[in-house]
Amino acid sequence: MELELGLALPDPGPKAVGELGFLRLDGTKRGFGEAFGAEGKPTLPLFVRDNDDEDDGDHGDGSGAAHRETSNKRKRLVGWPPVKCAHRRTCGGGAAYVKVKMEGVPIGRKVDVSLHGSYDDLLRTLDRMFPPSADQQGAPAEDEAAGWRRHPYVVTYEDGEGDWLLVGDVPWEAFATSVKRLKILA
Amino acid sequence: MGRGGSRAAPAAAAPPWHALPDEVWEHAFSFLPAASDRGAAAGACRSWLRAERRSRRRLSVANCYAASPQDAVERFPAVRAAEVKGKPHFADFGLVPHAWGAAAAPWVAAAADGWPLLEELSFKRMVVTDECLEMIAASFRNFQVLRLVSCEGFSTAGLAAIAAGCRNLRELDLQENEIEDCSIHWLSLFPESFTSLVTLNFSCLEGDVNINVLERLVTRCRNLKTLKLNNSIPLDKLASLLRKAPQIVELGTGKFSADYHPDLFAKLEAAFAGCKSLRRLSGAWDSVPDYLPAFYCVCEGLTSLNLSYATIRGPELIKFISRCKNLQLLWVMDLIEDHGLAAVASSCNKLQELRVFPSDPFDPAGQVSLTERGLVDVSASCPMLESVLYFCRRMTNEALITIAKNRPNFTCFRLCIIEPHTPDYITHQPLDAGFSAIVESCKGLTRFSVSGLLTDRVFKSIGAHADRLEMLSIAFAGNSDLGLHYILSGCKSLKKLEIRDCPFGDKPLLANAAKLETMRSLWMSSCSLTLGACRQLARKMPRLSVEVMNDSERACPLDSLTDESPVDKLYVYRTIAGPRSDTPSCVQIV
Repeated sequence: MELELGLALPDPGPKAVGELGFLRLDGTKRGFGEAFGAEGKPTLPLFVRDNDDEDDGDHGDGSGAAHRETSNKRKRLVGWPPVKCAHRRTCGGGAAYVKVKMEGVPIGRKVDVSLHGSYDDLLRTLDRMFPPSADQQGAPAEDEAAGWRRHPYVVTYEDGEGDWLLVGDVPWEAFATSVKRLKILA
Repeated sequence: MGRGGSRAAPAAAAPPWHALPDEVWEHAFSFLPAASDRGAAAGACRSWLRAERRSRRRLSVANCYAASPQDAVERFPAVRAAEVKGKPHFADFGLVPHAWGAAAAPWVAAAADGWPLLEELSFKRMVVTDECLEMIAASFRNFQVLRLVSCEGFSTAGLAAIAAGCRNLRELDLQENEIEDCSIHWLSLFPESFTSLVTLNFSCLEGDVNINVLERLVTRCRNLKTLKLNNSIPLDKLASLLRKAPQIVELGTGKFSADYHPDLFAKLEAAFAGCKSLRRLSGAWDSVPDYLPAFYCVCEGLTSLNLSYATIRGPELIKFISRCKNLQLLWVMDLIEDHGLAAVASSCNKLQELRVFPSDPFDPAGQVSLTERGLVDVSASCPMLESVLYFCRRMTNEALITIAKNRPNFTCFRLCIIEPHTPDYITHQPLDAGFSAIVESCKGLTRFSVSGLLTDRVFKSIGAHADRLEMLSIAFAGNSDLGLHYILSGCKSLKKLEIRDCPFGDKPLLANAAKLETMRSLWMSSCSLTLGACRQLARKMPRLSVEVMNDSERACPLDSLTDESPVDKLYVYRTIAGPRSDTPSCVQIV
């Protein structure tokens, strides 16, 4: 996981002048480290770039430049800014939380589908949320990416039309926009 | 007693005051509503202790693990109203592992056993199951008030049990809970003879409710004062509900959006005109500026307006709020922008509490023009303003100093500058001076949240000046251990401290171990703590519970980890109940 040094606002515009105008009195610009005054400590940005996504081969388009663009999926800092779930849902900001229920487990979970780029991604998260019990473990977990395949779980989802389908049948993008709920059958 | 007065006949010697029967003291203590006063009285002597605890009616357990439910029931056998809180505050933002604990079941079971006359139960940030709700419905024959705030684990089946079983229910108040929808028509289970409801809040429920059933319920509950609907109620039904309950004082409209139709507008306007007692208003209003004038007739009477789920913006919003001249509480999205807050400043001079939430919290640039300007205006013009929660993207020391000078009466000041480590945008200095000014000026400050670029200096001020501070939240701040040391060695009244992503390590924690027992709890995540320090702390302070949590992916038994292992999350709290036995695998008690 790479920590990005400093803020990288895309298009300054007049309103954002305050955040970017690190000018000394003599007119030259200061570097970020200096501007922030902290003794060489890297600033923690709102977003932390996740290198794993760049290595993920599960992207539709071919060209290298486009790949870098679409794989620029930034993982948010957990729990920051401190707004409650309900508020995040109302506001959009791209978050797409869907409920996940597993058969036999009383408390459901929620997962933000928009933070994932592929089925592998999503299923890895589900794996973490609902770890299998000891007797359900198959082969040792050397290959994390294929880990979910060895589980006896069947993951289903409810689409926009209210139908329950098996996860993995349609292309990821189509799934991500239509998924309303997830259910894991043990 | 018996001194002076006539000496004609020898009167029987009055008992000395300290030998008065308990019933006399119990009656005296009934005039002390505040728990802190009762607690002080209980500490005076054994007979007062006995009398007080046996007559206490309201009990508030701020940390469900600080004492066992059995202890609570035994010590206070006459309790009629209990409130229990569970998970740490940062659970609201996803920082606490999911299965951490805070089950309500043991509390419900103990209450069912020891408090059969219980009338009110309130749970916050706890796991409440359908079985709990069924037990509540079955165990307390005079149950009247159920309040669940930020809880999870139950469904509409549990609500059905409450509706069917609680004959004398006055309040069903569901705030921001995760409720599983089992498609059970729970509202229909209130019997036709049931008329006692005063508060009905199901705004957080995601499913549909039977509108006809709701209408009949509202019609027959003539004492209904608070009605907060969920998103499933369309606008025309809202109008007819209001006509059935013109006496209501607090209304949550649920989803307030529809295409404009003049006859729907007329219906709504007429319905609101009938609500002469309406004082508090909330709801999820989506881009319906055309309907806002329907509310105009109630604006002047409003004391509380919660638009924190409303995405309306622009001149209509400002026109609306400007008519609410008697507002004491305003919660709004940053879509109001600085010029909207300037209008609030000039129109709402009775304002006591302001909260401004971010409409797009994850956009680093921010499309909305809400800056320090808005907060400066409101604090300059609203003399009764004492509580603020403000999300913005830029701040200056000068603005904070001005705010501090204008409003020394703040009791709660929470400022969240969205991008971590943001300095004063004009001078590029840390915001130490600004936040210090707040704490030096506001002598009555009890709750404080700081943000932006901050060094240890601000913590020196807080430690030295924040004598009444009870809750402090710190994120992405400080340079060194000194920062934490200043806080823990100062802040006389500190009860809750929550810290994330700060360079605070073992030394200040161990040096101030005794302080932790005077506090309710401490949360530290993503700081620089090691397991060794946590072990030392636990050894040194047996009446503290020291919980350590790491990523559930790496759940290894504690014994295999060395003292040098970093601790990702630490939660420490005082307890008389000893270590709890319900920790999930990702939480270990040191």
